[in-house]
Amino acid sequence: MGGWLALPKEWIGSFGSIAKFSGKILKQVYTLRVLHFFGETLRQCGVLILGSTLVIWGLVFIVGLQCGIEGAYFTRAQGAPAYSGVFAAWCDLREIVPYGFGYMMAAKVGTGIVAELGSMRISDEIDALEVMGIDSVLFLCATKLLASWLVLPFMYMAAVGAGFFASYLAVVQQIGEVSPGGFSLIFWMFQNPPDLLYSVIKAMVMATAIVLVGCYYGYHAGGGPVGVGTATAKSMVMNIVLVHLIGMLGTQVFWGANPRAPIGG
Amino acid sequence: MMILTGKTLVSALRPPYPYGSEFVGQFLFALRLCWLPLLISTVAVSYGAPGLQAANFLILFGALDRLGGFFVLAIIREFAPFVCAIIVAGVAGTAITADLGARKIREELDALQVLGVDPVKNLVVPRFLALMLVTGLFDIFAIIFGITGGLIATLVNGAPLGPFWATFFTNASTTDLWGSLLKCTLFGAITAIVCCYKGMTASGGAEGVGKAVNQAVVITFLGVFAFNYVFTQTLLATHPEIQVIR
Repeated sequence: MGGWLALPKEWIGSFGSIAKFSGKILKQVYTLRVLHFFGETLRQCGVLILGSTLVIWGLVFIVGLQCGIEGAYFTRAQGAPAYSGVFAAWCDLREIVPYGFGYMMAAKVGTGIVAELGSMRISDEIDALEVMGIDSVLFLCATKLLASWLVLPFMYMAAVGAGFFASYLAVVQQIGEVSPGGFSLIFWMFQNPPDLLYSVIKAMVMATAIVLVGCYYGYHAGGGPVGVGTATAKSMVMNIVLVHLIGMLGTQVFWGANPRAPIGG
Repeated sequence: MMILTGKTLVSALRPPYPYGSEFVGQFLFALRLCWLPLLISTVAVSYGAPGLQAANFLILFGALDRLGGFFVLAIIREFAPFVCAIIVAGVAGTAITADLGARKIREELDALQVLGVDPVKNLVVPRFLALMLVTGLFDIFAIIFGITGGLIATLVNGAPLGPFWATFFTNASTTDLWGSLLKCTLFGAITAIVCCYKGMTASGGAEGVGKAVNQAVVITFLGVFAFNYVFTQTLLATHPEIQVIR
């Protein structure tokens, strides 16, 4: 029976220390102590923009195409192909773009942070920082969190745009049963600015969780090169489950009791 | 990567077959790691995305019983295979890359080659077959738990379950099921090849292994989603009968 329950046991065991570590990082950001290292924060922003933006947009574009064809075929089967805009609007903005963003954040940024911090830990660079009198959590983790908060809302909105564009391509150009004007009419009718705000909140909660989990596993890596690899793999497991749970809770909280659709009363 | 795919396929088919025990080991390993994340994720995804949103939409028309029919499309065709692929890539795939990368860094792979043991046949082939099988079988579980999520969404809205099952079974078709299984199995193959390749070409010490895992996951996700798009499009275009709502 040994290995079957290893994962839940580990989650329960490490949950407390992850929460404590995350609390420490959040406190450092909220008390603005992180501004001591504003230069490093800007550098992390640059890394995020140059390294991850295109990959995230690419994935969101592909899932947007996916949403588009499923929506087009589904509404055609219902006998209402003109309404594929509804499917595209809801599927993109509310569900798939946040999930796609979360997956790629976990894969690219989350594991990247673990790999970077883990190898710093293994080669004793983090200890060296401490010896030099620099608060390593502040310098390494809090700056990353602030950087992601600075960059990601804008990157996410652009990603939503990429998803919309992909759905438009799939529905209007590829399947071609709706005119561009008809698509746009229905598409924009079924969403409004608060929906975008909720979607951004959902994605930002995911991004925060991913950065914090990545920092925890990287900062506490140990055991040589193998340890770094194992820590990266473990952080990925945690992140994926968190992304799904946050996605579900976000849907329940924002849209569970109120569909926010322009139909009926 | 293509060369590795070819080599893997050839050495999987050509005798001798020394990888039996390794195959069973990897299979159980993936099963042990993935079952809980898969369970949580499929229920969460299907309750949230198709469950709540589609139920909201259908309630506006007073047609909540159509949720079952929608779940055939949503869960069997889309969400179950893709959640499966994400979980297997993120959990088992990263573990494989980390494992093979560590062996590469410690020069164990070179040692194997010196001993005359073919690393592709003895390490890659069992992982490839095990991941393919495990992802295909997990698809069934993902469908079952995905439908559980739909049932929860129905119950939350205070509707009886009978109409859900009725529309579900009138809309479900064998084509949908085999399409889903085939898609999932191929996702497993993509994951295994990318992760083994990245693990076996890792270099540069501790940072190299971490980077290899990072790249492996990114490439796998992009590959899986791109493949998903092409596959779904082909399946829908070549089997128009599964699009009909009954």
